[in-house]
Amino acid sequence: MYTYKTGIALIDDVTGGLGPGMNILILAPPLSGADTLGACIARPGTGEYSIIISTEERSIDMANRFSAENLNRNHIGIIDAITKMSSPEASDSVHVKFVASPSDLTGIGIKFSQIVESIFNGEFEVSADVDLFPPPIRFYINSLSTLLMYRKLEVLYQFLHVLGAKLKKMEGFGVYILNNESFDEKTVAVMKQLMNVVIEVKVESDGHYLRIRGLSGVSGDWYKFRIENGEVVIGK
Amino acid sequence: MIQTGITGIDEMLGSGIPRGTRVLFSMEPGVDGRLFMISTLNNALSRNHRCLVIIPTSTARVFRSEILTLKKVDIDDYKDKLVVLDSSVRDSLHKKCPVPAERVNEWKSLIRETCEKNLIDIIFVYFDLIYEDLGLEEGFRMLDITIGDRKPTVVLEHLNLEGDDLLTRFSADLAFDLIISLKSSFTPAPYFNFFTLEYTSWSNMPRRSIPYIIINNTISLYIPKIIVTGPPASGKTTFVNQASDRGISGDRKDLKGAATTVAMDLGWLHFKGFDITIYGTPGQPRFDPILPQLASHAMGVVMVIDVTRPEQMARVRTLMELAKVNLIPMVIAANKCDLPHDFSENEIRDSLHLKADVPIHFISALRRSDVRLVVESLVHCITTYPF
Repeated sequence: MYTYKTGIALIDDVTGGLGPGMNILILAPPLSGADTLGACIARPGTGEYSIIISTEERSIDMANRFSAENLNRNHIGIIDAITKMSSPEASDSVHVKFVASPSDLTGIGIKFSQIVESIFNGEFEVSADVDLFPPPIRFYINSLSTLLMYRKLEVLYQFLHVLGAKLKKMEGFGVYILNNESFDEKTVAVMKQLMNVVIEVKVESDGHYLRIRGLSGVSGDWYKFRIENGEVVIGK
Repeated sequence: MIQTGITGIDEMLGSGIPRGTRVLFSMEPGVDGRLFMISTLNNALSRNHRCLVIIPTSTARVFRSEILTLKKVDIDDYKDKLVVLDSSVRDSLHKKCPVPAERVNEWKSLIRETCEKNLIDIIFVYFDLIYEDLGLEEGFRMLDITIGDRKPTVVLEHLNLEGDDLLTRFSADLAFDLIISLKSSFTPAPYFNFFTLEYTSWSNMPRRSIPYIIINNTISLYIPKIIVTGPPASGKTTFVNQASDRGISGDRKDLKGAATTVAMDLGWLHFKGFDITIYGTPGQPRFDPILPQLASHAMGVVMVIDVTRPEQMARVRTLMELAKVNLIPMVIAANKCDLPHDFSENEIRDSLHLKADVPIHFISALRRSDVRLVVESLVHCITTYPF
């Protein structure tokens, strides 16, 4: 069975990586750098691919950031849910697809399937030394918070439930970000139902902390962390 | 009548959709099915229908860009025939009427005024956000418009998050005159999409599902496998060659120098809106063990018989069993009818114990038109067969 390394030693050292079909929720307050942590977990490893739904950052900005971080853009597909609101004529490419707005769940679902199909059809770059089937795919939504601003909780739950079932069938791995200060307990509890692992993030005066919930054998204590060159570094 | 603009579907619907009816395209999340609605809209505009589009998830400019990309049609060229109520309309109605019950009335008034002012024939609605805002009954109520003594045709695209339960409810409530659901096979690779004609109010068409593929932003109905089988030297390879736009033959010479099929013949054709893959089987009994595998998942069978050799009928009956023709549609191609013979349709039907609805066509596989007639007959059987 293929396993996905999270890049967080606390998880990977104990579990050896997470199995296909698993979903991680990052619960974090605003301005806590959760999107950077999410991007670290969702970055494609060797022979892997990532599909990112972006409701926060334009794909062009994201692509520039990938270049700065030496990420292999040829293994990443982006569904951009914001650019069309200001640039209606933005047109799709193999790696970047646009939907009308974050409320357009129909479009998001279609573009997700199109990118998956492109990956399976070999339209994305294939690593010469690693050719796995089914191709390992990390799926990253940044963020559920924005989608919840546009659609009702029960609708988004149903949508993610169906999409999650497809992700499980193709043996993918999901990463989702939710701002835990903008939504009530019920909303957070409902979203947690779709997840296998929750990473909580908090910001203290001396830095950022995370704790991991839902994995047996993995400590549920708070750990200080920082991101260095796209890697999660756990400290004291 | 209005048409979807998708060749095979319009023919299955009896040349289109009657005016004043309600149509639903129900889409499972992730299924690339937007072209069904867009193709119907495009077709309506090209036939000078006056259309209203209600699209709460998008601005009119984004919608224009999407149609331009998908169909190379600029809706700005149809300004006198097309009105778009977009996300800005929904936003302003939300501000004006925070209470949903009031909002329904506002929507209804706005739609009626727009229809009256612009003499609208057809209303296209992207429904899922309206369903979320107002609920099912109120959403339907806002679209229940009568202009004078006529009702505009209403075409809905809906992101169905509730699965078959919602479709059952729609069918039971007779909320629509035509329901087409769009789903996908995903195991684990995205395999293909398929549509199901769930219900039509104006005909007794059986429920049926057909795969489809999208090529250059056009929907083609897809028949992934048709089997052409029959006894040795009955004309199967000639049939496949004549039927196909392109193909591969598995013919090899036997010890006496005569050509015989040793694995299979393979052909592809695009025919009347369908993309079809044809598999021609070997006819020799020594290949019988592979025939069930070749026939597995086939959507139909062409049984090629040689009318000059009635003594081969026992072999034909064996092949019918191997291909499990009791489970899928079959058409008989009574080949070599241009040669002297005295084998009648009734004799063939009796000899093979065929049901009355199994078509028998007397053909010469040397004539492409004859072969295409058989293919057309089988496609018709497939699209009307209650699988």
